[in-house]
Parts: sequence; C-alpha cells; structure tokens
Amino acid sequence: MEQFLPTKTAGWVAAGADRYFTRDNIFEYMDGAGEIYLAYDFRRLLVREYEKRAAPRIIAEIYQMSSSEDAYGIFSHDTDGQPVTLGRGAIYAAGLLRFWKDRIFVRLLAGEETAGTKAAVMALGKNIDAALPSAGKKPRLLAALPLPGLLRGSVHYFHTQVSLNAHYFLADSNLLNLSPKTEVVLARYLRSGRKVRLLLCRYADAAEAKAAFEQFNKVYLHDRSAPKLPGRVEKVERGEFVSARWNEAFLILVFEARDPRTCEALTEAVVKRVGEVFR
Amino acid sequence: MRSNKNEESVTRRDFLRGTAYGTVGLALGLNLACSEAGKDEAVAFDPVSMAKSLFKAERPVSRVVLVRDERALDADHKVNAGVVAEMIDAAVKTLSGEKETARAWQHYVRPEDKVGVKYTRCESVRVHTEQAVIDAIVARLAEAGVAKAGIRATDYGLPLKECTALINVPTIKVHPLTGIAVSLKNYINFTGRESSYHHEGSVKLGEPWLLPHVKGKTRLIIVDALRPYFGPGPQVSPVHRWDYRGILAGTDPVAIDTIGLAIAQAKRNLYKGEEWIISPPPTSIAAADTVYHLGTSDPSKIQLIRQGWEKDALV
Repeated sequence: MEQFLPTKTAGWVAAGADRYFTRDNIFEYMDGAGEIYLAYDFRRLLVREYEKRAAPRIIAEIYQMSSSEDAYGIFSHDTDGQPVTLGRGAIYAAGLLRFWKDRIFVRLLAGEETAGTKAAVMALGKNIDAALPSAGKKPRLLAALPLPGLLRGSVHYFHTQVSLNAHYFLADSNLLNLSPKTEVVLARYLRSGRKVRLLLCRYADAAEAKAAFEQFNKVYLHDRSAPKLPGRVEKVERGEFVSARWNEAFLILVFEARDPRTCEALTEAVVKRVGEVFR
Repeated sequence: MRSNKNEESVTRRDFLRGTAYGTVGLALGLNLACSEAGKDEAVAFDPVSMAKSLFKAERPVSRVVLVRDERALDADHKVNAGVVAEMIDAAVKTLSGEKETARAWQHYVRPEDKVGVKYTRCESVRVHTEQAVIDAIVARLAEAGVAKAGIRATDYGLPLKECTALINVPTIKVHPLTGIAVSLKNYINFTGRESSYHHEGSVKLGEPWLLPHVKGKTRLIIVDALRPYFGPGPQVSPVHRWDYRGILAGTDPVAIDTIGLAIAQAKRNLYKGEEWIISPPPTSIAAADTVYHLGTSDPSKIQLIRQGWEKDALV
C-alpha cells in the first residue's frame, strides 16, 4: 500500500516509520473503534505521518479491504461533511478528508484545519487517487434503492449487527440474523413530509430472508401467530408505522412512517427496483 | 431457528416506551434537579433534607457540578491551562462545600494516599483528556499534601494494587459500540479484556469498578468536557467535536455518566436539527445503577449544580 502514498506533498514530508496494522492488532491503533472495521472485511492498515515546520501534522491512513463494496461500506459509516470530487466518493470536513476507490478507504487528517493543511490534504488525496489504478464498484444492492425522496448522505452499507446498532438500534440481539454474508442498506427518505427509514437486507437465499422476516414479526412486532405473507404494516410507539416485507432473498423494513400508505408505497418501490436489479 | 436470546430481546420499541434500560430514556428529555451556584458561593450540602424537601428519593441525591468558562479554549481550540485549573478548583470547591482549594481536595485524598489518576488517551480516536486537566489535578493533589511519589497519572498501567485512591478523569465521547464513554468506560482497561465489554458486553461496564483492587477506591471523578465528541465514529471527525468548555465533578459515576449522556444527546439533536438518538443505547448506565449499584441514573436523584458560562449549556 505504501506505493499509493507519496513521501512529500505541498511542503509536508513523511516523518517516522510507516506503521502497519491487520485484523489481529488493529485495536493497538484504535481501541474499540476497530470493531467497526472488523465488521467489514478489513485486511490491512498503513499509517504514515507527514510534518512541516511550524505547521500541523497530517496523518494518512490507508485501509485495504477485501472488496470495493466494503471500501464503500466503511466510507459510508460517517457521511457528514462536504462532498468532494475524488476517487469514487469523497467527503471533506474540517481538516479530515475521506474517500474510497477500488478496495481502498483513505482517511487524511490534519492536526488542525488551516488553509495550508486543507490544500495539503487535498493534494495528498489527489496523489493517492491517481496512484490507484482501478475504480472498483459500489455494492449492487445500492441500485435497489428507489431514488425519489432519498436523502443525500443518508445511505449506509454494511453486513452485521454491530454496524446496524451503531446507526439504528433495533434490538440487543441479532434480530435479523445478520452475518458477514448479509448485505444491508440503511437509508432515509422524505415521504409525505416526514423522514422515514428504510432497511433493506439481502440474504444468501429466500429461506434465510423468510426466517429473518418471521423473527422480526415475532420479536419486534410481537406477533406470535403465523406471520402474514408476504408482509405487514403495524402501528407502533409514538404513533409511527413499521412495515416488514419478505421478498425472495430480501427483507424490506420501513420505520418511522406517518401512515401505512407510506410504508406500502416505499416497500413496493423497493420490490420493483429489486426485481429490476437482481433479475 | 430463533434462539431464546432473541425471544428475550430488548428492542427499540422497549427503549422508546421507556421500559428498557432504566432511565436511559432520559436522553429524550432530562428532568434534573438543577441549581445555580454563584461563582464565589460554596453550596452547603445536606443530602437528607435535600431529599426530603426536593424529591421523593429513597436515597440521598447525587451531586454533579458543572463548571463552564468561555475562556477555557481559544478560537483555535487551544486550551487555556490557567482557566482550566480555575474551573477544576471551582468544581471541587463547590462539590466539597469548601471555600479553599486545598481543603476542598482534602475531602477526597489524604497525605498518606497513593493516588492513581486515570485519564483517557487513545491514539486514533483522539478525544484525549487534555494535559492541562491532568496537570491541574496532579498539582492540586500535591498541594493537598499527597507526596509527589505517591501520585501516578496514566491511561494504561496504573499500579492498582498499590493505589489507595483513584481519581477518574475521562472525557465525553459518543461511542459506536457502547453508546457513550465517560467515567464508567474509563476503567475498561483495568480488566485487560477490553473487547469483552463491547457490544452486548457493554452492559457490564460497571464490573471493572468492583475488581478487588478497584472497588471503593474512586474518590473523585473530574470529567474533561472541554471538547466532547458526539458523532457516529468509528474515529473522530472534527465536525463532531465542539467547544463545550466544561468540567464536571462528582463522586457518583452513574450520575456523572447520566449528565454526560444528556449533554451529548442534546448536542446531537441540536446538530441535526432533529432527534439523533445515541446508538446503541448506553445500557451500561442503567446497569451500573441497578445491577452494580455504583450510583444513580435517576434524574430526580441527581442534583446538577451549574456554575459559570451558561450559553448552550444543554443541560
């Protein structure tokens, strides 16, 4: 990975030895936060620091994931900031530049944001972007999101319960049977003047999706009888509506809707898109 | 196949109904017993009469002092060490009811104590306890009569067996695995099994406080709330830190964490302009109250004494 990083940029020069971390020792670098990286198929991290006289340091972190989908996934964990044209997607926020490209997630952090560090971080980002030969692809599941009403910066892609609970707590147990093989997209929509949340899960097969649907019915919707197939809408706390729909290998959940129709319309739109993308 | 564990799940619905995690639901609206302390006024503390007159509390109230000073940080977030030391002095004096700093500290340490100052410093996450906070505490311990050789300040490697007293000096940060990290989580590395206290295990964050070499030794908690973190993690983005310019002091870790949670939750809501519930729910706070009996998370039993700069106090 060191070939992606220059030894100097905009007056900043690499200082000290590069440091490498793997799945086995990532906690030495970031304590518990490493769990979020391990929830994706993280392989290796390179950390290089840059210094310049009388200027804040810049830390470059290059994360190698096993797939471009997971590079996008970890990038999507925190979406706050200003979008920047770099790599396959980039965000800048107060001295921190993050972007993803191919199987690489890049995090460039200035010790302090100044005009100089911002320019240096951007220049470093462009260097790294240029050194990465392949673009990589976004998760296919993203294409199943209907575009009308989708709120910018609201999409998170992940696999497991750890990530789900970091974004949106559903239960203290693995209610949806999520695993490293599951693909999940969490997104927010503006529908009928209200923000609603969509959780779209893709399982290995229809049986797994059906089992998750049944479990959600029983535990979350408190329905001990045989669940109504293929789905249902329920009124829950705070006058909100929640819906669940089993659709082949997919489970489609809508939360925080103002009325049943919003749940049904968004679900139908997802079912249609899933059919178009995965058939 | 569904497991029994799933059958017994605590769900988001339980959380929103307020039937799970005790009073953690206070994140949606804190109803504290607040009072204002004048800058030079020490507040006399009579927990029994306070409980009788103000609350229907079965136990005395836990007091948490919040001192804020606009001068604590400059426009570039640089710490003014002198102001921070003054804030810590003010907080400890108010908490103890003493007017003189050394006497205030003598409420919590004795000259013969071996004191461990447990701060937090994570290289990557970077919501460190500021050095100015640590230095001020170490200086005041010495002025209270504790021998310099008897004071050890560190994140990792405190000689717990030797320590007769602990001063817990955390920061406030929202955490993607435990919900919130304030004083309860600050003792996680006393166990050597940090990972076991993440995920579902975060409910056990009170456990390290009951380790044989830790139990009963925490005399004081001073929270560096100068620049808390309120974002989604996993690492810190500068846009999710803010200059709160506060110091919290107390002796009840559960009450302290409850206030820290309320501040972070209020900031998240303010930042997004809508409810942005801390996730996962910080189960450790309610469990520290009801399972480990380390203090109270009941807002009606927490007296928050606010002092100093009031703008955007959030609690």
